[in-house]
Amino acid sequence: MTVNRTCDGLRRRDLLRAGALGVGGLSLSGYLRMADAAQVNQAAAAQAAIFVELPGGPSHIDTFDLKPEAPEEIRGTFQPIATNVPGIQISEHLPKLAGCADKFAILRGVSHTLAAHDLGQEYINTGSRPLASLEYPGYGSVLSRERPSEADIPSHVAIPRASQGAGFLGIRYAPLSTNSAPRFGQPYRVRGLSLTGDLTVEQVSRRQSLLEQLDGRMAGLRRNSQLIEGLDQFGQQAHSMITSPRARKAFDISEEPSSFASQFGETPFGQSCLLAIRLVESGVRFVTVQLGGWDTHQDNFTRLKTQLLPTLDAGLAGLFTGLEQRGLLSSTAVMVSGEFGRTPKINQRSAEGGRDHYPRCMCMLMAGGGVRGGQVVGASDATASGPAHEAITPDDVAASLYHNLGIDPATEYHTETGRPITLVRDGRVIEGLFG
Amino acid sequence: MKRMLMALVIAMPVSIARAEPTKLGAPPVAADPAPPLAELKTRFADGKTEEIPDFQRHVVPLLGRLGCNSRSCHGSFQGRGGFQLSLFGYDFKADYAALLEEDSARVEVDDVLESLILVKPTDAEMHEGGKRYDQGGWEYHVLRSWIAAGAPATADEPQKLARLEVFPAELRFGAAGEREPLRAVARWEDGTSEDVTGLCRFTTNDEAIATIDAEGLVTAGDAGDTHVVVSYDNAVIPVPVLRPVSELAGERYPQVATSTEVDALVIAKLSKLGILPSGICSDADFLRRVSLDLTGTLPSPEQVQTFLADDSADKRAKLVEELFESPGYAAWWATRFSDWTGNSEAQLNNVFPVRGAASQLWFEWLEQRIATHVPYDEIVEGIVTAESRMPGESYREFCEAMSAACREGGEADFAKRDSLPQFWARINLRMPEEKAIGFAHAFMGIRIQCAQCHKHPFDQWSKDDFDQFAKLFAPIAVPQAPRDRQAREQREEMLAALDTGDLQGNQLRRRLGELLLDGEVVPFPELTVRTAAARQQRNRRANPNRRNLAGAARVPTGKLLGVDQEISLAEDPRESLMEWLRDEQNPYFAPALVNRVWANYFGVGLVNPSDDLSLANPPSNRPLMDYLTRGFIESGFDLRWLHRTIVLSDTYQRSFEVNETNATDERNFSRFVPRRLPAEVVHDAVLLATASDEEAAELRNQLTRRAIANTYLINRQGPGNFALAVFGQSIRETSCDCDRSDDSSLLQSVFLRNDADVHARLTSPRGWVAQMGKEYQLSGFRQRDPQALRALQRQRQNLQKQLRQQYEKLRSLDPEQRQQQAPELRAQIERLRERLAEIGTQGREGMRRDGGQRDPEGPRQSVSPHDTERLTPLVEAAYLRSLGRHPEPQEIEASLAFIGESASELEGLEGVLWSLVNTKEFILNH
Repeated sequence: MTVNRTCDGLRRRDLLRAGALGVGGLSLSGYLRMADAAQVNQAAAAQAAIFVELPGGPSHIDTFDLKPEAPEEIRGTFQPIATNVPGIQISEHLPKLAGCADKFAILRGVSHTLAAHDLGQEYINTGSRPLASLEYPGYGSVLSRERPSEADIPSHVAIPRASQGAGFLGIRYAPLSTNSAPRFGQPYRVRGLSLTGDLTVEQVSRRQSLLEQLDGRMAGLRRNSQLIEGLDQFGQQAHSMITSPRARKAFDISEEPSSFASQFGETPFGQSCLLAIRLVESGVRFVTVQLGGWDTHQDNFTRLKTQLLPTLDAGLAGLFTGLEQRGLLSSTAVMVSGEFGRTPKINQRSAEGGRDHYPRCMCMLMAGGGVRGGQVVGASDATASGPAHEAITPDDVAASLYHNLGIDPATEYHTETGRPITLVRDGRVIEGLFG
Repeated sequence: MKRMLMALVIAMPVSIARAEPTKLGAPPVAADPAPPLAELKTRFADGKTEEIPDFQRHVVPLLGRLGCNSRSCHGSFQGRGGFQLSLFGYDFKADYAALLEEDSARVEVDDVLESLILVKPTDAEMHEGGKRYDQGGWEYHVLRSWIAAGAPATADEPQKLARLEVFPAELRFGAAGEREPLRAVARWEDGTSEDVTGLCRFTTNDEAIATIDAEGLVTAGDAGDTHVVVSYDNAVIPVPVLRPVSELAGERYPQVATSTEVDALVIAKLSKLGILPSGICSDADFLRRVSLDLTGTLPSPEQVQTFLADDSADKRAKLVEELFESPGYAAWWATRFSDWTGNSEAQLNNVFPVRGAASQLWFEWLEQRIATHVPYDEIVEGIVTAESRMPGESYREFCEAMSAACREGGEADFAKRDSLPQFWARINLRMPEEKAIGFAHAFMGIRIQCAQCHKHPFDQWSKDDFDQFAKLFAPIAVPQAPRDRQAREQREEMLAALDTGDLQGNQLRRRLGELLLDGEVVPFPELTVRTAAARQQRNRRANPNRRNLAGAARVPTGKLLGVDQEISLAEDPRESLMEWLRDEQNPYFAPALVNRVWANYFGVGLVNPSDDLSLANPPSNRPLMDYLTRGFIESGFDLRWLHRTIVLSDTYQRSFEVNETNATDERNFSRFVPRRLPAEVVHDAVLLATASDEEAAELRNQLTRRAIANTYLINRQGPGNFALAVFGQSIRETSCDCDRSDDSSLLQSVFLRNDADVHARLTSPRGWVAQMGKEYQLSGFRQRDPQALRALQRQRQNLQKQLRQQYEKLRSLDPEQRQQQAPELRAQIERLRERLAEIGTQGREGMRRDGGQRDPEGPRQSVSPHDTERLTPLVEAAYLRSLGRHPEPQEIEASLAFIGESASELEGLEGVLWSLVNTKEFILNH
């Protein structure tokens, strides 16, 4: 039995590495048993989560935090419009979201200090300020570990991928990346999950039964080897996932009625939002959906107006209303965020100007689970240059997301080298967001 | 110099304070002149003693015992309630200052009983940490007496503990629940000694086998063996605890024949535990096992047949000598050495202007040395004392050589150079502390990072030891522009001639990369050691009038770990570091390598984790560790001696089948414990098992497409890398052997069963299934029109080329561009991959167009005697190429039945090979 030493003198079973080396203790199959036993946390509002990641850093002042009273070189050309919640206004280029603002909360005056894309992403996507020596796990990896999905369904799917990996938790908790986004009205497959080539379920099942006949040589070890037992379980689970109608159907967005599918917009992003709902409905715990292109140093307004905002508007509005139509909004936490906001002052490097990286002030959306929609939490100052009062930090946001999912933000993990790590070091659950 | 170092190193064990092995349960050493002082508990029981407790010997350890300096209390880096103690308490000055802090009232010399350290821990109401001891108890009296005496401070330098003796030195239990107390005696260098049992920290390495309480009372649990660990001051003493697993322990243990010293030492341990070893594995299992472990390569069907047919007695020994000369041997061990030394492309991207070159050069430098059997210490010397330039080489000539080395095919020239300076150039080793941690990990197999902030909880290192050691690395740097003037001028000339204008940083490096590939000579950063002498010389040159001032400056020094002598940084400290490593008394250098090589063969090291040779983590079999270490040093650090000694032992050749006594043994080597193949080996094994005979032969001789030859790097995107990432290839970044993961995962099972890459291998026109289809005229196989096939082949090559270009483009983007362009590029790559997959399907459809359709409702087709005879050799061959053995009759029968039931023979054979690749027998070394 292996005991690994930690720097601070605590001991831990070598959980993350166990199994393959045949070490004892809580190894791989122990993990699997734990996973089987993992009860759905009844206390938590949300059982699953969808993270809409907007890499590049969307402009807060042109989307959900407009400042019509600010000077012209700051407020830009977009006008605010009313939403279906009295008193809340958002950008005129987000009309569909304005029609369902009662379903999500807007977080304004979120603030941090990391102005580089990768560092900002790591901070926002983990809730812990990045360290050189250690990579924190993304939300999906933590949820995969704390509340894994059933055998034939992956715990964490990223469409097409996620900026944040499993960090020190290890590759087992890494997302299953689809590497591509579904297209409207077209069939959709995922690497390794859909049957490859021209194989049929019948063929694969025949192979599986041949495999069971040929795979007997190590069977005598099963009773005492957690590795052998674990490999058998993984094999079964992989087979179920590959052949199960559930896994295949979960990804097959063409089963959705076109009336439902079209409300997400006919873009890959919109269809990814649709896929996210299908996956959650099928038991996937965490879905990351990515929409990039927000790094609008130049031609900020045209790019937002013509491409980015219409795409986002249709996709997100589809996501919120779709979740509600399916009865999933109350059990699915949703978070929408880029890695930072953009400079309130418009730069003059292109004809119509652009906005640069600006972590001191940004905004986010949260919805689902216990989140009370139709409200604005926090505020920015008159020029959206910083929080008006106390800042909301990425740590607070992470603590709130975990809280919504019934995971204690103070959970302690140990890295491979034995370092003790608190899941969210400094965050507090944001007051007023829930209930 | 050498002699001095030896003397210093010999002195080490004294300060390490190892437990003297004494007879079981023996009383304290009889020869001791004065019996040790009784425990504080006794001396201070009634508080009437005149004795003044000592801060280092008594107060700090007592605070530790009471839990005051633990991480959750005042040992936390933020402190607690404004009061912070050093974690594990070996920073006496800081702790003293914290206790005596003005106005803190923690220690009130004038009003002793109001001191907070007497008031708060005795009052659960006042103290957030609850009640820690009784008012009027011996702990109270110790602290009170110390304060009453004026709270005397500790000496400037900590007092030296000569050793900590623990009795008994070893514990053997007969049944669960048995108990045995430990006693610890501190012997100080000033000749005094004291029973310190009540001041020690007691921990167990496996609480299932033995638990130990705060008083040092050990309670036996499950059968097996482990250590309990006793810590006091800077001493850490492991005490073996053992409870036999069967009735056969000791005198009742049967005679077990042993072939080698390794086996004798393993059996000696097993006999204590009452564990019987498994038998010797079959020839087929040995061939597959040793080929995978020693060369990272599956044996070929011909090798299996030849080996099985050979009936000479020494065929296993002959095989090992043959394997040493195969290309896989050097490649696989260069991969392992790359893991341990941290060969990472990503960490070198600002030292090399072209991508992919840095890691490949590093790899081939190692590979060339391993292939030519250079002794281990010489390989390490080429890294530790590396110089960028060869003797007599000018900076310009160095840049010429490096520029040539970075171009396609230039790697071999780099491998001929004396040094591998890249080790010191990594971005994550920029700071002296990081270099110290990286060095200790790579060449000593120890994790000293804990001591960077506080006393190492499992080793003797204090924060001061760490700081002194880290200083040795301060002079080593790899700056972008060389320090010496002549070289700097040459660099300026080169840049001027290359017309790089005022490009800087990343942009300059990218431009230089382009120029390099165009055949230009570009400047390279050079390793520099800024010795104190060199620095003074420069200062003098800069300020000729201040010569005396510079001369008066103190020459900085540092210290080797566990050696008191200061090392002057007037000279390159790496010479001392290397001499110290190589010295046969060095307690880490040879054992670290022995342990890592052992772990490669058994999945666990003699010390486990394999890079944690700390005092609290002793080897599971110390005599064996000592024997191998001694032999390895005496062989002249000959790696082949080590490999041979291990793999030709009975211990390595044990069967994986278990008996009643050894089914749960995983640390004492009584059986072969199956383990998952490493990422690169899995990748290559799938390749070899599915390739046509011709392609497989090519893959065995030319490693260019093999993952064990560093062809795919985890930090680069591209085909092949997905599998390596899924199977846990080492990221080589954090100075930890755990950067490689041997864990199994769901994704791995999904990959082997159903990934397009594996599918493409099984159905490839160059694959083995297609080859058999053609040679045996299997139903379902129709040879394509050769012309169409060639066209398809051209189309495929064309697409692959485009794919490579797109990947290259993606890699060369800087972060800013990446944000903009990467999504589109990735989409293009995805389209190209889809088209490639389509072509694969076309080829496949062409192959099986003739396949008869099986009536799903119809009866199960039986295999005719003729077909049985025709197809059996194919099943045989599939087994040989994947599992390295002949199939059993029932396995042939099941496979033939499967083929008979399949839509075509071709599809059936494909299914058989798929199944074999997905067996546990395939993915495990067993």
